[in-house]
Amino acid sequence: MSHIVEIQTEIRDAAAVRAGCNRLGLQPPGEGTFKLFSKTASGLGVQLRDWRYPVVCELDTGKVQYDNYQGRWGSPKRLDEFMQAYAVERAKLEARKQGHSVREQQLADGSIKVTVQVGGAA
Amino acid sequence: MKTIEIIVAPDGNTRVETNGFTGSDCRQASRFLLQALGQQSSEQLKPEFHQAATEQQQRASE
Repeated sequence: MSHIVEIQTEIRDAAAVRAGCNRLGLQPPGEGTFKLFSKTASGLGVQLRDWRYPVVCELDTGKVQYDNYQGRWGSPKRLDEFMQAYAVERAKLEARKQGHSVREQQLADGSIKVTVQVGGAA
Repeated sequence: MKTIEIIVAPDGNTRVETNGFTGSDCRQASRFLLQALGQQSSEQLKPEFHQAATEQQQRASE
């Protein structure tokens, strides 16, 4: 039988963060404590394109900390793009770990479809 | 053919859809992805899932 599930993406996997950065042509993420204007955050820091401060992935909580001054210090689109790259890479990594084959396809609306074939052709 | 389709929206949120599974295998097969990707915000069962659930309930009450 079949079903559909909607998921709000959480960033919890360092390998997928690295793969996501690589996919977008960003510098590899670095572990540490980062200054975000008036506060600091610890985790995996990702420098998005044209962002003043890094976004910091707290892998324990799945949350991302950042200060982009309501878009003036970094476009929210860049963050969305990173979230998408992360989710695609995480799905592919996990599917391959399970031994499944994976296919990726770019859709017209900007979405990316990852098709996982389970247990070979029936 | 059994497939799991993950549609990742431009904002990173995802939709996982299973196709071609029998019984409750779809939930089991896609569990690793749901756990990996984040927090489930909604679940929609396709008609055939309800059909199977009803049959199971009927069997249980017999």
